[in-house]
Amino acid sequence: MSEKKYSKDHEWIEIDNDIATIGITNHAQESLGDIVFVELPTIGKQVSSNDEVCVIESVKAASDIYTPIDGEIIEVNEKLNDNGALVNEDPENTAWIFKLKIKEPSQFNDLMTLSEYQEFLKTEEK
Amino acid sequence: MPINYEKGILNEHLQVRESAGLFDVSHMGQILIPADEKNIISLSKFIPLDFNKVNFNRCYYSFLLNNNAGIIDDLIISKIQYQQKDFFYIVYNASRKKNDEEIFINHLNNYILLTNNSLIAIQGPNSEKIINFITESKNLFFMQTKTSNFLNKEIIISRTGYTGEDGFEISIPNDVSNQFIEILLENSLIKLCGLGARDSLRIEAGLSLYGNELNEKITPIEASLTWSLHKSRLNDESLNGSKILTNQLNGEIKNLKVGLKSISRTMLRSNTKIYNIDKNQIGYISSGTFSPIMGSSIGIGYINKSEINNKIYILIRNNWEELNIVSLPFIQNRYKRGG
Repeated sequence: MSEKKYSKDHEWIEIDNDIATIGITNHAQESLGDIVFVELPTIGKQVSSNDEVCVIESVKAASDIYTPIDGEIIEVNEKLNDNGALVNEDPENTAWIFKLKIKEPSQFNDLMTLSEYQEFLKTEEK
Repeated sequence: MPINYEKGILNEHLQVRESAGLFDVSHMGQILIPADEKNIISLSKFIPLDFNKVNFNRCYYSFLLNNNAGIIDDLIISKIQYQQKDFFYIVYNASRKKNDEEIFINHLNNYILLTNNSLIAIQGPNSEKIINFITESKNLFFMQTKTSNFLNKEIIISRTGYTGEDGFEISIPNDVSNQFIEILLENSLIKLCGLGARDSLRIEAGLSLYGNELNEKITPIEASLTWSLHKSRLNDESLNGSKILTNQLNGEIKNLKVGLKSISRTMLRSNTKIYNIDKNQIGYISSGTFSPIMGSSIGIGYINKSEINNKIYILIRNNWEELNIVSLPFIQNRYKRGG
């Protein structure tokens, strides 16, 4: 049974056993605007929470994507190589960005639930 | 004007290339200057045009120049009859209003700042169809202008723009501008477009932006805009910086304005340094965007002339990325020339 949570940097993270799938939220893609390139992370890289792991380039700006938890990058979404715009179209599903083998499962508890994230968005708008 | 409306920059960009877009550019400065002898002498100090050769109902791309021939602003100036009097009509950059208006205030007489006029740009291959309810539009070619009427108010319609497409810019009193825009938007061929698409369209068209390609330390010759200077003025000492311009025209220019194209999937951004193969800086990117027509990132920049046939690089996130130098514009313009 998988579970989905959200970070303050507007990433979503879905956990299935010890594998986490990570992407950016719909709110994040809306504020980035037209996404043209996704520079994917390197498979096999060990990363710690809040590390910059890859970059999304939109017409407006370049944005760093952070990993919300520690782990090893085991898979990247190759579809985004040819089609960065998929992140605009389907950010929270087929346009996942990378998968991690989780190191510290307890870090997942520090992230926000959907309702907490929605509340967080309201405070950010102010 | 927002950066973009709900469909986004790339969608608006293609809307203009394929049909038509409406840009509300009312933030720009507009002024009417009586075309009398005194004002012509004052304007001739700053503007490198031969005012004896400036024709009625023609638009000219030109500049306000400082003492060193640096560009205070770039502008479009036209000679028109407005309310039965002869005027020069100038459209200038919003970002340079303060500097430009200081010159106008100190040097010109009886000018009228058109602060109660909106400026609406219609750009794209379908522009002609959309604006045909203004009958004067049919008699205009590229860089021509006329006054006309809308709801009994005098308007100024020019066949000009900033996208490389056919199109019109209309100066219209604020009290009827909403009705004008509503009529335009009833036509399904045209959609509202924002500043983001305005920027990516003008970069594809190879057009300069003040603050990016142009500033007070760059002359029109250094900005590869020599074509816009009236050469007879370069020997005229009453023109600011005329000696410098003459020397540059007869001598060597150090840097060239070039088109740049990303080879990899790197986005070109303004103020990025450009290097040669020995990792020495030889220039910089002045504008960058993503071109949906080219399917890659493109930009405009300045590079040292001696490096024009060499490989050039930018340093992005600790990687050296090679760029291609290409000629400007990236896409051929589709102006309706003639007349």
